[in-house]
Amino acid sequence: MNLVTIEHIVAVAGGIVVAVVAFYALYKDWKTPGVENNVFRLMLLLLGVGAVIALLAGLGILGNFPAKAA
Amino acid sequence: MAVASITQGGHDSHGEIDQLYIETRELRLQGFLLFLVSDCVLFSSFIFAYLYLRNSGQGWPPAGINRLDVAFAAVNSVVLFGSGATMHYALENWKHGNFMKFAWMLIFTIVLGVGFLCGQGYEYTNLIFHDHVSWWGSGIFGASFFTLTGMHGFHVFVGVCYLTVLLLQSAGGVYTKDKYFGLTAGTLYWHFVDVIWVVLFSIFYLL
Amino acid sequence: MAIAAAPHGGGIADHIHPEPQSFVRRYVFSIDHKIIGIQYIITGFVFFVLAGLLAETIRIQLMHANGGFVSPQTYNEVYSIHGSTMVWLVVIPLLTGGFGNLVFPLQIGARDVAFPWLNMLSYWIFPIAGLMLFSSFLMGAPTAGWTEYPPISLEGQAGTSMWAAAIFLVGVSSTLTGINFVVTIMKMRAPGMTFTRMPLFCWGQFATAPLLMIATTALAAALAALFMERQFGVPFFDPTKGGSPVLWQHMFWFYSHPAVYIMILPAFGIVSEVLPTFSRKPIFGYKLIAFSSMAIALAGFMVWAHHMFTSGLAPYLQLPFMVITFVIAVPTGIKIFSWTATLWGGKIHYTTAMLFAMGFLVLFTLGGITGIFLAAIPFDLHLHGTYFVVAHFHYVLVGGSLMGIFSGMYYWFPKMSGRLLSEKLGKWHFWLFFIGFNGTFLPMHWLGLEGMPRWVSTYDPQFQFWNQFASISSFVMTAGILLFFANILYSIRFGKVAGANPWGARTLEWQIPSPPHYYNFKHIPTVYGLPYDFSQPLPYRGLEDELNDTPPPVAAGAH
Repeated sequence: MNLVTIEHIVAVAGGIVVAVVAFYALYKDWKTPGVENNVFRLMLLLLGVGAVIALLAGLGILGNFPAKAA
Repeated sequence: MAVASITQGGHDSHGEIDQLYIETRELRLQGFLLFLVSDCVLFSSFIFAYLYLRNSGQGWPPAGINRLDVAFAAVNSVVLFGSGATMHYALENWKHGNFMKFAWMLIFTIVLGVGFLCGQGYEYTNLIFHDHVSWWGSGIFGASFFTLTGMHGFHVFVGVCYLTVLLLQSAGGVYTKDKYFGLTAGTLYWHFVDVIWVVLFSIFYLL
Repeated sequence: MAIAAAPHGGGIADHIHPEPQSFVRRYVFSIDHKIIGIQYIITGFVFFVLAGLLAETIRIQLMHANGGFVSPQTYNEVYSIHGSTMVWLVVIPLLTGGFGNLVFPLQIGARDVAFPWLNMLSYWIFPIAGLMLFSSFLMGAPTAGWTEYPPISLEGQAGTSMWAAAIFLVGVSSTLTGINFVVTIMKMRAPGMTFTRMPLFCWGQFATAPLLMIATTALAAALAALFMERQFGVPFFDPTKGGSPVLWQHMFWFYSHPAVYIMILPAFGIVSEVLPTFSRKPIFGYKLIAFSSMAIALAGFMVWAHHMFTSGLAPYLQLPFMVITFVIAVPTGIKIFSWTATLWGGKIHYTTAMLFAMGFLVLFTLGGITGIFLAAIPFDLHLHGTYFVVAHFHYVLVGGSLMGIFSGMYYWFPKMSGRLLSEKLGKWHFWLFFIGFNGTFLPMHWLGLEGMPRWVSTYDPQFQFWNQFASISSFVMTAGILLFFANILYSIRFGKVAGANPWGARTLEWQIPSPPHYYNFKHIPTVYGLPYDFSQPLPYRGLEDELNDTPPPVAAGAH
């Protein structure tokens, strides 16, 4: 098991954890009133999306480019 | 002991909410959000510049430059996004009066932020000394990549310092259970830094 | 609507700080919005004099086809710094930092802006940046005009980097001011002062402040990139290293087109105050004027590339920019017609402030029409880089913004100082300025149509007559401006004492003594209606004590 594989595993696992936490926080926070909470909801949504993106990158679905000769 | 005095946060003498505090808080909140908006425009301008140059018909990545290492960056991104989540729970715990948990969450956030910076430093070192890419000598690739990620890294660095100050302030009893605008602002700023990274990660590594 | 509610009990409005007593805290590092406004106005006019000297250098050089007054290199430096100074150190600070700070917190019935310390900071950045800009002469000033297009600016002298740093700092100052103003107008209006009861000057500031806040940051990015490229060789704009000079034009004009609205919307506000006051008539189309300001501000973000029709944009990109630019003429036209309708049938008092406001109407309309010409792609391809463009933007910036500034000075000087400016000198100022201005810039239209290029220190001898005419007219204009300064210096000492409301105006700032007290209002008034309904009783309650000897509100204790 080389370093790159570990990186992929960590990215996938971390992505899942962060996405779940972010979306759960978003769900819990859904009805809190106040200007700053509107912003927090937006931020949490984007954070969750970011975690999913990182997860997909870890799975090799996004950003999986064929090696290019230097 | 710092954490011990945090736990007394809610019981100090001026913990009462008054009209002056409510109005001042609204002003500061709005001012801070507008600051974030203008900061966002700063990033957007550079992102526009990057996309404009990237699409100016020279091919991407430019000749002689390798693709960036996606796997490592994904790990580093997860570290930063995770710090966003812990920051969110830090503020939640403060709101509910769990000052001890707040302190631990904030410390986690700071550690993860520093971890992200270290990861970025590692990546920079690799790029500069292994791939021989530099800020000024690698054409528009070096220019846009190092300027944007450097600017973001600087924001993270400022954020880490900011959160450290918030940790010390809350340990020193500056905030109470009801009056904690500084913590709200810190959380907003940290979320902002995270969300900018979502965009930067996507456009630099995955596009 | 919370008209009946008691003014915020124990809130910011009741939290009054004691007036500082030391000279430094009172007049130098003051956090009082009125003092900061006056500081902006004084500093802005100092830079105005310097920029005027540069302008006269240009006009003297152009007296003869072969120039000879200064070297071509110096000529390039002079017009670059003239433009930069007028835009960033004169018109924008005077209209936003100057009149904005001075007037609008009074008009909305606030005791100060939302962040007084931030306000002080943004003022003090501004003169420092101005000094930096002028110090660039010492190391070789920028030579590529106020727009500093690469690649010329990349090869420019060392001062170009200083220019970038200076403008960056002015931008920081503008951004802070913008944030401050938005929050103040959103959150600190007096009870009953709804958005549709705000004086139109406040609407002008409210439309401008988001532009300051958003557009200026985009400029900061462009300047930072230029600075990095010049100092560290980081390629953004240099085509030999893969960069793109057109990228600079996009980034620059994304700021600088909204910036022209930053420079005109507050002037619209000033005119909207002056015209109804001296026509003794309610303003025509209050809501239309207010909302058209917002429409202009919004549309201003979508038209930047009309400055770049000759830069090789794809035709399918040029067309929408042309159309949206035409669309901006609609809200602007709404304003012009509303102001004209305000004058119609009014009992017009020809004070100097009113003369300048009416001069504004005429000259700005002319400048706006040539703006429509230039927005048309075929016409612009023909005239880009000629004196027609110079004529156009001087008609909107001098005939528009600067006339607005003068109008505002004659109108609000009594509120600043407690004394009226001399009307006799003022009328001389107006007529010399108006005639001199038209003599200077009207001929540039046909010089441009005949093909005289901008940015060049010499010209074809066939253009000599109208250039000499313009130069001599510019001396007349300068004489008018000198009279204005003489007027200020004279009137601040010997002018007629104004009293609280010399014009019979109806906005809030005229209902309190001139100059106002440190705390602005003894009691925050409650507002019941629009300020422009002449012949109706004043729509304010709670102002009874402002002009008598009742003691001021109690300060909240030293902090």
